[in-house]
Amino acid sequence: MSRRARDERRGTVRIDQPRSVGHTVRVPSPETTPVDDALVACADGSPDAFGPVYDALAPTAYGTALGVLRDPDHAAEVTQEVMVEVWQSAAKFDPARASARTWVVTLTRRRAIDRVRAEQSRRDRDQRDVDSTLAARDRDVVSEDVEQRLEGAAVRRCLDSLTGTQREAVVDAYYGGRTYREVAERLGAALPTVKTRIRDGLIRLRDCLGVNRG
Amino acid sequence: MADSTRDAWDLLPAYALDAVDDLERRQVERLLDTDADARRALDEYREVVAAFTVESAPPAAMRDAVMARIAAAPGQARHDDGTPVDGESSAAHDDGTPAGADVVPLDRARRRRWGLVAAAAAAVVAVAVPTTVAIQATIEQNELQQRVDTVAEMMADPSAQLLRSDVTGGGSATVLVAGDDFLFSANDLPDVGADSTYQLWLVGAEGGVTSAGLLDPQEGSVEQLVQDVDGVGLAVSVEPEGGSEQPTTDPVVVLAEG
Repeated sequence: MSRRARDERRGTVRIDQPRSVGHTVRVPSPETTPVDDALVACADGSPDAFGPVYDALAPTAYGTALGVLRDPDHAAEVTQEVMVEVWQSAAKFDPARASARTWVVTLTRRRAIDRVRAEQSRRDRDQRDVDSTLAARDRDVVSEDVEQRLEGAAVRRCLDSLTGTQREAVVDAYYGGRTYREVAERLGAALPTVKTRIRDGLIRLRDCLGVNRG
Repeated sequence: MADSTRDAWDLLPAYALDAVDDLERRQVERLLDTDADARRALDEYREVVAAFTVESAPPAAMRDAVMARIAAAPGQARHDDGTPVDGESSAAHDDGTPAGADVVPLDRARRRRWGLVAAAAAAVVAVAVPTTVAIQATIEQNELQQRVDTVAEMMADPSAQLLRSDVTGGGSATVLVAGDDFLFSANDLPDVGADSTYQLWLVGAEGGVTSAGLLDPQEGSVEQLVQDVDGVGLAVSVEPEGGSEQPTTDPVVVLAEG
């Protein structure tokens, strides 16, 4: 980030910056990865600087998009948009708040889920179903798929520490691109119940994965 | 703790999963604006969500498409970006707006830049013609005439666009775009040695690239006419002798329309 941009940013911020406030001082992540550093460097760098960042993070974005969209073409489009966005908004990346990988996952999920919902509402509006790739994909064959995809991932072991209902709710929200309201409808459970399951499920996963940012 | 605040805290995990509706999203973001602890909690939940990611290799052609798009706008959006950025900000604000906000200035910057280039087009093209003719003199006479006609037509096309850029490593390149025809020319290209070659690529609208032939510069200059193709621009990379199916190195120049 250029000094100018940083100063402007300061000027418009209403809230306290995490690192400047006594009792909420953030413990920065113990170390940044080379990818984090490379992404930070992109903020003022030339396009060439983005090559290694692309190589490191595009598979993360594509994998994330594929998880939500389950269609290679849609996933590729979303990934391309996200990677351009990563370059454009590199100055907004704050390594004290997230790893580059987590940041890219966040950006990708947002876009992928927006796309799922846009397709959904278009389908609701227009029964003729012009583009059926997303609309037609079976959003209910989620769970078995997940087991396969997560084979070997750290989160797999941790998922086993969840109760059946927590796990169901989290997985459905994660892969279905659904709101918890839709999850509740689908599972035939009360809204507060599902909200709680998702919350407790994520908290359990957080503790199991040892995620602790201070 | 007020009820609404507690509600927003309860929604943080669902928010991290993008499993909230727009109204709830705003509710959570109000909390995030004022509460550093909530932001930290969110960061942790996001890390949990990211742990679900199983990486997967994207289509190979995407790399060049992305690099071409960012190379086409080296100024980047962030310098005109006056949007307030708090701790939360565009990493995940409402309904994808950050992306839109970023894309708009990018397009504007690109148009502005190429507008300037277009203004200078007449002069550069006037220089380009004799070069074309000189090089084409080595090919069959009728083919030459055809090409000259094509180039003349291209230059007469009011919608023709001239894109110009420096080449990484040295030299400069120009492409005249008229409809489905591209006239590429480059000057002062450094010698890449016997084991390597310059290769010209057609960049498709979807980001894919296809070879538009090898370039054999004479004293650093080369021209190539690419006709009747569907693409948004051209790129050049340095490839191993004989060329490649798909680029194996980063482009040394990308000349592409939005």
